[in-house]
Amino acid sequence: MTIPILWLVLAGPFWAALGAWRLPRVYRKKGLDDAPARLIGGLGGLTLGPFLLGPLWYFTPDLGRWYWGGGTGILAAFELVGLFAIMQSDNLCVTNASYVANQAANGLTIGFIYALMAVGLTLIYSVQGIISFAHGQFYMLGGYVSYYLLLFLSERFGIEVNPIVGVPVAGLVTMVVGFAFERLFLRPMHLGRVERAGEYAILITFGFGFFLQYTALAIVGPFSQKTGTYLQAGSLQLGTLVMIPNRLIAAAVGIVLIALLLYLLNRTWTGKGLRAVSMDKQAAAVTGINPLRMNTLAFGIGTMLAGMSGAALIPVFTWVPWVGMTASTRSYVIIVLGGLGSVPGALFGGLIIGLVEALGAGCYPDPSKGAAYKTAFGLIIFALMLLVRPTGLFGREP
Amino acid sequence: MTRRTAFGLVVILTIVSMLAACGPTPEPQTIVQTVEVEKTVVETVEVEVQPTRPAGETIRIGGVGPLSAPGSVVGGIAMQFAMNLAVSDINAEGGVLGKPLELIFADTEGLPERGAAAAERLITENGVVAITGEYHSAVGLAELEVCHEYGVPCLFSETWSDAITEAGYMEVFRIAPASSMNSRATAEWFAAVGVENVVSIVENTDYGIGQDEADQGFYEELGINSQEVFFVELGTEDFLPILTRIQALDPVPDAIRVAVTGETSFNLEQQMAELGIAPSEDTIGTANQVAIQPEFWESVPNGAYYVFSLVGLPPSLYNDTTTHVAEAYSAQFDSDPPSYALEAYDSIWILADAIERAGTTESTALIDALEDTDITLAQGRYYFEYTSKNPLPDNGSVPAYMWHQWPDPAVLLLQYFEPNQDWKDAAVIWPEVYQTHGTTYIVPGTTP
Amino acid sequence: MIKRLLQPRWIAMVVLVGLLVASPAYLKDSPYQMAVVTGAFFYAILASSWALLAGIAGQFSFAHMALAGIGAYTAGILGRDLGTTPLQGIIAGTVLAGLVGLVIGILCLRLRAAYLALFTIAFSEILRIWLLTEFQFTEGSNGLMLDKLWEGITGVQEYYVMLGLLLGSMALMYWLASSRFGLFVRSMREDEEAASAMGVNVVRYKVLIFVITSLIVGLAGATFYHQVGIVTPNTMEILQMSLVIAMAVIGGMESLLGAAIGAFFSRVSLEMLREVGVFGFTIELGAWRYAAFGLLLIFTLRFAQNGLLYPIIDRLFMRGARKDTVAKRTLAEEET
Repeated sequence: MTIPILWLVLAGPFWAALGAWRLPRVYRKKGLDDAPARLIGGLGGLTLGPFLLGPLWYFTPDLGRWYWGGGTGILAAFELVGLFAIMQSDNLCVTNASYVANQAANGLTIGFIYALMAVGLTLIYSVQGIISFAHGQFYMLGGYVSYYLLLFLSERFGIEVNPIVGVPVAGLVTMVVGFAFERLFLRPMHLGRVERAGEYAILITFGFGFFLQYTALAIVGPFSQKTGTYLQAGSLQLGTLVMIPNRLIAAAVGIVLIALLLYLLNRTWTGKGLRAVSMDKQAAAVTGINPLRMNTLAFGIGTMLAGMSGAALIPVFTWVPWVGMTASTRSYVIIVLGGLGSVPGALFGGLIIGLVEALGAGCYPDPSKGAAYKTAFGLIIFALMLLVRPTGLFGREP
Repeated sequence: MTRRTAFGLVVILTIVSMLAACGPTPEPQTIVQTVEVEKTVVETVEVEVQPTRPAGETIRIGGVGPLSAPGSVVGGIAMQFAMNLAVSDINAEGGVLGKPLELIFADTEGLPERGAAAAERLITENGVVAITGEYHSAVGLAELEVCHEYGVPCLFSETWSDAITEAGYMEVFRIAPASSMNSRATAEWFAAVGVENVVSIVENTDYGIGQDEADQGFYEELGINSQEVFFVELGTEDFLPILTRIQALDPVPDAIRVAVTGETSFNLEQQMAELGIAPSEDTIGTANQVAIQPEFWESVPNGAYYVFSLVGLPPSLYNDTTTHVAEAYSAQFDSDPPSYALEAYDSIWILADAIERAGTTESTALIDALEDTDITLAQGRYYFEYTSKNPLPDNGSVPAYMWHQWPDPAVLLLQYFEPNQDWKDAAVIWPEVYQTHGTTYIVPGTTP
Repeated sequence: MIKRLLQPRWIAMVVLVGLLVASPAYLKDSPYQMAVVTGAFFYAILASSWALLAGIAGQFSFAHMALAGIGAYTAGILGRDLGTTPLQGIIAGTVLAGLVGLVIGILCLRLRAAYLALFTIAFSEILRIWLLTEFQFTEGSNGLMLDKLWEGITGVQEYYVMLGLLLGSMALMYWLASSRFGLFVRSMREDEEAASAMGVNVVRYKVLIFVITSLIVGLAGATFYHQVGIVTPNTMEILQMSLVIAMAVIGGMESLLGAAIGAFFSRVSLEMLREVGVFGFTIELGAWRYAAFGLLLIFTLRFAQNGLLYPIIDRLFMRGARKDTVAKRTLAEEET
């Protein structure tokens, strides 16, 4: 056990220095551009020492290209996990495989729920080129629409319906609000009536979110609310996995809606129009697509998805007017991780953040503090992503 | 200027003038204290700050509590309401020293620096003779320094941190239980029902951390093993990472202690129950005291068999005063008064009583009179055992937080045993003298 | 020379500063009002430096409150653990805030504006969570106590300290904005590629201005919380930052003075408008205050993008300076 640590502490830097010093010479000797060689050599030496430097030396430049393309990340992750396992040999995440599986399963489940909200945000970005800082508040609004709809039905007509009914209605309401906001405040920006559009877009969405949140607080009050659950059920035992059925249903809603959105984007004329505008506004306009209408539509669909994810979650989590704050921060992380404007990216980003939060909180060396740092883990991934690859996993431009 | 811009300017001007129209009333001095119980138009705090008014018209008491985020607004509103109720009750009986009492309530936003500023404002601007209230310990700790600096009595009605009274200031009194008194009840009950291993889930705030520190002391004293402590951030929704960890614990914990408040506690409790971790046959589940709020069952439909603590008397022991406050409170909020509302109501009466006995509003005389308090109100008979006349013993046999502390606040443990149960129907299981169903613990799945 | 000094802008400036310097004479009987005004100065520094960063340099940061918090926490922790004097602590806090600003700047400023906004939100949140969770070190939500600036400091002295900071930082920022440096920064905001083609090292200037504002904010934060005596993680909530941004926008994002005045009045009015007297009854405004503030923010943005105070400031200080903008606008309006 001490050998790997010795390796990392003592031998690693030595091999790294050797690689960084010698590899550029190998490149030059073969008549190649030595620009990336120093970094490749250094990293290669640090991670696997002679075992990687040797082949790198010999197979240059083929192996170097592969290594630079993806090998660094995989090896670094491998090393980190290994290091974690060595340093924390009595951590539950190392000793108990079914524990890890359980955390991962729960992380993935909630990942789909996170993704649904982020997908709307990324759609708005891809078409409009702006980030809506009111997204979390649309999510909050969607939850309340569903809550008050169910309350109204049960108090006025005595009908108790499953909270799933609230999802489309909430989507409709938030979509209408989104349309109205877009027409009133964002269209002037696209028409060039506003100076400094970039900052205007951030501020106007932010201000609207602020307004929505405090209006909700003033009307609803600080008391918490929640609709009934989807099912009256306890936990679900699948082998060693223990899951919460209500949460699985919310995740299923997320999967269905994302699938519908992908269908809309890829198989219908409207969706193709949206994608066309997101790729090139002028070209789209030439082919007879009205970019302004597509802007409004994209914003409306985006807010609708936020509202629907709110309505899908209010049976699972307790609702308060400031519930959108954490949710929106998380969505920002997800869409940057997946690549701004990429719908599949948002889906993967959601899953990754779900996993990172669950495993981070579950494996953090000091168990008492792991859960408090849950949100922070996602944010750290976000910072790393900005540092290493600002375009995200599926992104187009930084 | 286009029509659009003109329209925009009109809208802006309207908003500005709305804000501006909210200016001070012409003569704030003549405001008469009235309480609208039916509407949320709660009474009167001045808009305009003005120099200390000549004594003679009213006797002013300062109230402090959170009325806006990040403070716990629910708590602040309830306290403000109860204090106003007490003031109008006192004034209906002719006021204090022949003058009407006036409450000036200041919003502390749950921020210590705002609380200190509010206390300073109440003392220097509004000329209050005493300050009462406060919900957050961290804010209370900042406020008591101000009280100490100006020598004005401060009666804390709902701040639990031991440090409040441990400061040992002449000016500081408390009628809420100290954290340690609260912990003692739960820990002793744990010991009585044979709990060996406890897992604690606490919020990373002054309340959660203070509560956990006190808990750990008693666990050690009573030989209970604290298996794990989990700190959580308020606003966390998904608790599965922690709960999965608890599921993997060996041995299975005998009890889970929750010191998390608000909607965060509801999320935690529901997920814990839904997963079958607690309350279960193996594990006792405790819920935060906010479980008496009507929102509990909406948010925690699986919450049957949760044990929760209640500060104050059980409904069966309500006296006339308690019933009176409870009626007024439920007419306003459509729910039963939480302990912090009852304490806030009582705190005004205690101050009024002390002023009456002192015969003056002068601070030293008032503090002297407060030390001699002996009055029975909504929460029971109030008195302060350790005062300047009966100092704390030097040998440390009495904890320092007993200084100017009401020694007898009742801390009860209640347990729901049916879904959607009214908290007043829940079984009182601890302390034994108050037991309603003759048992110290109802095993989940059974009825007493 | 005398003629130049008689211009309205100088007269207005002298009157304004004179009023601020003289007002303790009226406020000194009321420590509370004095504290409110001193606090408003702090917000004025935050808002005007944010206006320099966002309005003039086009960098949208949500980390201002967090940087002020870094200044205060550094000063407080050093004072507690190493027994440094408040002055040493403030210097250390300012430097650390500047360093953190440097790192954020290097990380984000190559990227589009939206990334900086997202990253700074994330940064503030991480910092707040860390301060809450590592309570053994930071005192958590109980708040970290800070010593007074010096023994026996009075409210009037605190007022002048904060006023001095405000005037000093305003002077520095005005000098920056009007210097060659400011010109570069403005040109970058208008057209980054063009500026870079003209030989402006865009990223370096962006980072530099981020560091300068971080230093100002760190200094103000460390000093202000030494006066308050306590700093808590909750001061870093996004809400507090939102208020600063809203203040700057309502006052005028492109004008340092507008932002400062906007912040000053917003802070004072938010404080005074807690409850509103109508016919002898008092209505708790509570959340409605903020809702109205949000509404005011979006309508200001949409219809008076230069802020509500802009017409006044423009008349006094910038007469004729924006003829080209006006010309452009009329042209645009004729087209539509």
